[in-house]
Amino acid sequence: MGWEEAQVRGYDEFVRTAQSYHGRPIFALFCGDKDAEGRSWCPDCVTAEPVVRNELQNLPDESVFIYCLVGDRAYWKDPNNEFRRNLKLTGVPTLLKYGTPQKLVEEECFKAELVRMLFTED
Amino acid sequence: EAAKYEKKVMVLDFVKPTPQGSSWGLGGTCVNVGCIPKKLMHQAALLGQALQDARKFGWQFTEEVKHNWMTMTESVQNYIGSLNWGYRVALRDNKVTYENAYGEFVGPHTIKATNKRGVEKLYTAERFLIATGERPRYLGIPGDKEYCISSDDLFSLPYCPGKTLVVGASYVALECAGFLAGLGLDVTVMVRSILLRGFDQDMANKIGEYMKEHGVNFIREFVPIKVEQLEEGTPGRLKVTAKSTKGDQIIEGEYNTVLLAIGRDPCTRKIGLDKVGVNINEKTGKIPVSDEEQTNVPYIYAIGDILQDKLELTPVAIQAGRLLVRRLYAGATTKCDYVNVPTTVFTPLEYGACGYSEETAMEKFGEENIEVYHSHFWPLEWTVPSRDNNKCYAKIICNIQDNERVIGFHVLGPNAGEVTQGFAAAIKCGMTKEQLDNTVGIHPVCAEV
Repeated sequence: MGWEEAQVRGYDEFVRTAQSYHGRPIFALFCGDKDAEGRSWCPDCVTAEPVVRNELQNLPDESVFIYCLVGDRAYWKDPNNEFRRNLKLTGVPTLLKYGTPQKLVEEECFKAELVRMLFTED
Repeated sequence: EAAKYEKKVMVLDFVKPTPQGSSWGLGGTCVNVGCIPKKLMHQAALLGQALQDARKFGWQFTEEVKHNWMTMTESVQNYIGSLNWGYRVALRDNKVTYENAYGEFVGPHTIKATNKRGVEKLYTAERFLIATGERPRYLGIPGDKEYCISSDDLFSLPYCPGKTLVVGASYVALECAGFLAGLGLDVTVMVRSILLRGFDQDMANKIGEYMKEHGVNFIREFVPIKVEQLEEGTPGRLKVTAKSTKGDQIIEGEYNTVLLAIGRDPCTRKIGLDKVGVNINEKTGKIPVSDEEQTNVPYIYAIGDILQDKLELTPVAIQAGRLLVRRLYAGATTKCDYVNVPTTVFTPLEYGACGYSEETAMEKFGEENIEVYHSHFWPLEWTVPSRDNNKCYAKIICNIQDNERVIGFHVLGPNAGEVTQGFAAAIKCGMTKEQLDNTVGIHPVCAEV
């Protein structure tokens, strides 16, 4: 069956989408919002996204890849935003395997080797 | 560390599941079934006590406070999972190859790795480092493997253990009994002879006394001879039959869980050491090494709990490993110093120590050549909630012939680990009693004693 992608924006939409795929392995990449020209305010996200997209071919069958825009810079900087509070995110970009402690944060997302490990190993 | 020096490195880590089926991820005993979950559960128990004290400090809450085993265990396992993952990332990031496979020697410089699906691969290397650690020992009585659990199972137990019998008097036994009782469970400890063999007995007895006064039952001078299952369940009901070590008396007891903590055996018997000629102590399974951690086979080294006559502590193993690699690949000469290593036992009343016990000091230097200074103390935080005022205790042992140098430090009280660390550094510097006296105390803290 391969894998599929869902694109969401904001915390509520993320949670709803993740719940709708309950039972399948879910991987999520959190990035800062993009402007009208498609560039994110978060420079590390700009670097990480192509690396992650390149490794998507290694996702296990039946997985879901959720690409989630978290919000604008001001929202992200707020220490009480829902992503920080409920998902315990500490930075963007964050790539994680939902429901497990497995995640890669910031510069770790630039490394194809680590991204591949997250997607393919237990 | 070796990868930092551009060496091609592979790590083989594999956990043979316990008789009950427990297994875990990368990180070894400390991370998965040792220090980390132990300290977290000890903390859970301490928090329970703190809640009781809180009322005396003015916090008002009427609800009865209960403990949920599953909530605690899930959080602890989650944290451990993040550590397992962290190690995977660190190894990969440093270009260290990791295989979740059981390694054993099959010939000179050659290892066979078998993964959990039974697939075998062969690897060769210039040098090998064995750090396979230990696993809990079983009693060898009917019913032990089928019905009893060990520390390997306890920290991920998917149900509350209920009324528990802890067999053993090691620090593992007492720490587990301690936090289980602190969480509100009915706990009994069955001891064959003495508590905390190898530790200062004066302190060991004080720890036992404290635990007894705080709800832990002790059955002394008995050993279990049979464990039977009365009822299956999570937990079930078990019947334990025990015999006195001093006569023919037999007793029986019923418990939900029996936790065996009678010792740990090195994992050295089934890794093919005979195929490459590495000597091991046939009786204990431990590997004798030189003071540079080298076995009798020059290209094979060993560190950690499996070493003969060395301390079984995580930081010691880590230090030994790092220094070994630096000696091999960075031209360093520093050897691991196994003397004056501080340690702490996280029983309900914590015990921190560094250096000689009173008995060992007397044996080595002669009773007339050592001076012991000691004091009970009452932590300020314990005064308001009216907790025991004469249980906390500290003593130092000094060598009269060497300027009254402090050769032993022992403290029994809250945060003993934190207190001991600083004094360990001072002892390493050769602190004398006079220097200790001249150090002004911080007030009001326990450590000023």
